[in-house]
Amino acid sequence: MSHGPKSDLNKAGVEQSDFPILCETCLGPNPYVRMSKQTLGAECKICTRPFTTFRWLPGAGMRFKKTEICQTCAKSKNCCQTCLLDLQFGLPTQVRDTALGLKNAAPTSAINREYYAQNIEGKLEDGASGAINFGKADSAGKELLKRLARSDPGYKRNRPHLCSFYAKGACNRGDECPYRHELPVENELSHQNIKDRYHGTNDPVARKILAKHAAEGGLAPPADTSITSLFLTSLPPTATEDAIRHFYLSSAGMPANALKSVVLVPASRVAFVNFTDRKSAEMGAEQSGLKVVIEGVEVKVQWGRSRPKKSQGSAPATGPISQVAERELATSGK
Amino acid sequence: MPKIKTSRTKPPPEGFDEIEAILEDYNRKMRDAESESHEGKRKTETLWPIMRIVHTRSRYIYDLYYKREAISRELYDWLLKEEYADANLIAKWKKTGYEKLCCARCIQSRDMNYAGSTCICRVPKAMLKDGVVVECTHCGCRGCASSD
Repeated sequence: MSHGPKSDLNKAGVEQSDFPILCETCLGPNPYVRMSKQTLGAECKICTRPFTTFRWLPGAGMRFKKTEICQTCAKSKNCCQTCLLDLQFGLPTQVRDTALGLKNAAPTSAINREYYAQNIEGKLEDGASGAINFGKADSAGKELLKRLARSDPGYKRNRPHLCSFYAKGACNRGDECPYRHELPVENELSHQNIKDRYHGTNDPVARKILAKHAAEGGLAPPADTSITSLFLTSLPPTATEDAIRHFYLSSAGMPANALKSVVLVPASRVAFVNFTDRKSAEMGAEQSGLKVVIEGVEVKVQWGRSRPKKSQGSAPATGPISQVAERELATSGK
Repeated sequence: MPKIKTSRTKPPPEGFDEIEAILEDYNRKMRDAESESHEGKRKTETLWPIMRIVHTRSRYIYDLYYKREAISRELYDWLLKEEYADANLIAKWKKTGYEKLCCARCIQSRDMNYAGSTCICRVPKAMLKDGVVVECTHCGCRGCASSD
């Protein structure tokens, strides 16, 4: 992009493109699609910069879909411009990132975000294949993603939105109403946020997919709800309590107070990760369901065993007495 | 806006008195439509009654002259001049295939998203999928193809 002699070098030019970055499901089953283009049609829902919008009909009885985020944002996460799912696997960003161990580099707040978006646009233009380097990611992660991905295209996402008047029982349009006349269902998947889905934080769909996978991988939450700790085995000898703590806090994205303590038993190369409550423990299990890498070595994760009730006041997890007790548990657990 | 009597307006030719009553009726309906409340209607829906009255009034005058031949040429021209009927719309009705056209906007391809296309109300009901009811957003027309 050539700037004139007096223009501000940091000023963002307009984003223009000839064809949108879309997944096959969003385009619909019909190979002949008529698409309209509008330069500077809307602002990107993530970086709020104006971009070229495209609008098309993905099949009979569907709503008209349009591109929601700009090409720069889509390229930096390798996702579709409308549905924000990964182009290769059709999975939410959070699932793909946890499976491949990618860190989220895009800042989320105001001026940082605009600066980042602007600069990454420059880098992408120079020919880099985008922020995701699939070659470097390990194949185990890719195999996992292939298994998690759905095999058939689900066109449920292209359906018209729900008629809000019908939900109140007051839709006057009747048959000619283009919106869906169904009652809305309220479950944990109803509250989705486009920014959360894009950045891969707090995405309910991703959580569901990861939880299902974790359950299949033997990490189902145990029936005893008083168990709030995870049991890690095959730790590398160089692992420290800090490394484990760091893993759960940063890459798993858990709040700082969720982790009650981490007890490392270097002799048997195991560790106990205690959480403050059951919910945080389950969140930790979901994140561990895919892969836990500490100091470069993949670690096995299991649920801890229920603690026998201690009548005397030796409750705190840290302390030599309880460490010995845990070591006993560890050896008997193997 | 027009139909204001100034010193320049010519008096109506003969034959106006018979139709004056009916035109006055249309006038009253128009005033009612203009002063209707907007409650319970969509934004686009508020203009539909106006377009509908324009269509029926123009239709009345068009029928009087071209079909029933009940008024003279001068009276017809005078009515068009005083804008009792929409001259552009009547011009379309004279063309084959556009005899039942609802409004001039629905064939204006410049207003449409894709080049050269028309409003959905112009599509004959036989070509539409079964049971699909359309009300075009411009004028609320439910189908103005000549075959319907």
